[in-house]
Amino acid sequence: MPTTSIGGDERISKFKNKGKDLAKLREKRITECVELRKAQKENFFKRRNISLSSLPEDEALSPENGTVSFRIEDIIRDVNCDDRQAQTRGCQAARKLLSKDHDPPMKKIVDAGLLSRFVSFLSLDDEPTLQFEAAWALTNIASGTSWHTQQVVNHGAIPAFINLLTSPMLHIVEQAVWALGNIAGDGAAYRDVLIECNVIPALLAHISPDAPVGFLRNLTWTLSNLCRNKNPCPPMSAVNQMLPSLMQLLHLSDKDILSDACWAISYLSDGSDDRIDVVVKTGIVPRLVELMNNKELCVMTPALRSIGNIVSGSDLHTQMAIDAGVLSVLPNLLRHPKPTVQKEAAWALSNIAAGPCKQIQQLITCGLLPPLVEVLKNGDLKSQREAVWAVTNFTSGGNVEQVVQLVKSGALEAIINLLKVKDAKIILVILEAVNNMFLAAEKLGETERLCLFVEQLGGLEQIEMLQNHANEMVYQAAHNLIEKYFSDGDLEEVQVDAMQNGFVF
Amino acid sequence: MSMSQPTEPATDGAAATEEAKITTAETEKKADEVVEEEEEEEEYVVEKVLNRRVVKGKVEYLLKWKGFSNSEDNTWEPEENLDCPDLIAEYLQKQKSAHEGKRKAVGDADGDESKSKKKKDDNEKLRGFARGLEPERIIGATDSTGELMFLMKWKHSDEADLVPAKEANVKCPQVVISFYEERLTWHSYPSEDEKKEEKN
Repeated sequence: MPTTSIGGDERISKFKNKGKDLAKLREKRITECVELRKAQKENFFKRRNISLSSLPEDEALSPENGTVSFRIEDIIRDVNCDDRQAQTRGCQAARKLLSKDHDPPMKKIVDAGLLSRFVSFLSLDDEPTLQFEAAWALTNIASGTSWHTQQVVNHGAIPAFINLLTSPMLHIVEQAVWALGNIAGDGAAYRDVLIECNVIPALLAHISPDAPVGFLRNLTWTLSNLCRNKNPCPPMSAVNQMLPSLMQLLHLSDKDILSDACWAISYLSDGSDDRIDVVVKTGIVPRLVELMNNKELCVMTPALRSIGNIVSGSDLHTQMAIDAGVLSVLPNLLRHPKPTVQKEAAWALSNIAAGPCKQIQQLITCGLLPPLVEVLKNGDLKSQREAVWAVTNFTSGGNVEQVVQLVKSGALEAIINLLKVKDAKIILVILEAVNNMFLAAEKLGETERLCLFVEQLGGLEQIEMLQNHANEMVYQAAHNLIEKYFSDGDLEEVQVDAMQNGFVF
Repeated sequence: MSMSQPTEPATDGAAATEEAKITTAETEKKADEVVEEEEEEEEYVVEKVLNRRVVKGKVEYLLKWKGFSNSEDNTWEPEENLDCPDLIAEYLQKQKSAHEGKRKAVGDADGDESKSKKKKDDNEKLRGFARGLEPERIIGATDSTGELMFLMKWKHSDEADLVPAKEANVKCPQVVISFYEERLTWHSYPSEDEKKEEKN
């Protein structure tokens, strides 16, 4: 606090509070603060009332205040008149109705013919409050069904929202981003219309380290919708525009941003090899593998999906994932408590196992066999299904030594136990695996040993029963196996103790 | 109003007819029929089948035309308009054995996927500067939370909320200065003469 008295008289004379009672001023400030706090509380409670109760539109709210009415007729009248204040009031009331948790009256607002007014408000750069309320109301309508989104688009919302992306007010830009996200999310058609209207550069221009986190979250989500949907996939030119920015976003730390950025990558990598190619060429794979380890499920899930998509591509793509360390992360995910995570991990593993010997060898070296067998034994049905594919792919692409390793790990025993499932397709896949194992045994002249082993595990019994299966392909496959490898007779009489040490080639 | 049309024109030059795009073999056969056409008919040759989709239950293929540029001039054509079974078969075969044993993702990630549309419920989940609003003025201060906080009134909003002074000092220093200046209190001090006397 200034204390000098030199020139003090002059300064005192300029001071705005000169001559006023200091104590009274302080009292006044305290009262003001208290009032503001009270008002804030009241508003807070009022908001709760609006969102929790189903607000009947016939009731006018707080008629004593005379400010806000939620009756549709009043809203229509206000929005349609020429007075900016009334328009804002009506628009805000509509927005609040449309923000209700329960049953927002979207169709009513549309049928009331308010959309064209709302869209026209979007262009009023000198009325930012009105712009904002209209943008919010339209956002919520566009969040409905395809019909709702179509109504919004049909009233010219797209160019209006794209214009708002250049507004000097960040909260308005953000609202426009959100609305555009809803429109893009409707499907490939609107997504491509937006892309044609050059929405992508306008969006990317707002990515900066200073941008508030909430804003970036909305932006990332909207970008992900522009990457989303197939038939057709987004145009390559658009993908190439968005990828560098997605890379940037993937190096931030906010979980919501990371989650949506990963979803975007998962959409982009869900396609043919050339689609996967542009994604991996960005060098994003190591970061994705890192994010597979993220403690947040909302980040880990799409990261895993992305990698799963990548290893469903070419051997080259798969090798990139392996080089980035995916094999050291997968075992944890195969043991993850959440069944869908296990399933996705097993699916990724099955695709890696569909690769060349060299990659199959890496699976063995990195210890993927034990967790695979665990899934076969303990996983839920969907995970087991994927794990079975992993085994069969392994037996199909692996060399003899590798198949031996697989059998030694307990995989054969585990898949034999799965022969009792109801899914005919899975039974076929298992029988194919068994057949492949016999082919490997043949090369070593060890088919009899394998027969004994299979019988010991109860597999012969199962396969014999499958000869009566309702599905034609199943009983054929089972029959073929029996014919080829088990028809020498006298098998049942062979002592089992010879095999006490387990199956050894 | 539909956003996607089943058949898009190839180039603006040639008047693309609704008839099938025919291969060179067929051209000779149809030579006689050309006379009957009112418009000038040019033959287009399919070079390659690039993609496949189903629109309103009908199968369509994305075609690369011989002599036309890739990507811009490629068009989607309904299956029934086409007469290039080899090219179609080639495409389908490629899809199947793209990689032996590799299987693409099946369906959604079991409901874990990000929402395709979002409704905005309220503005207030985000607080302070994260709301993206412009500061108007500070109307109060408190340190009851342990650190000094300002109650900020934002432009274009009637909802004020607390922001850390540390953040405000950097993001809107002038607003902070105004707040402090408004609250300067002046203490009365002994006059010049009284001071001189004390010194003596």
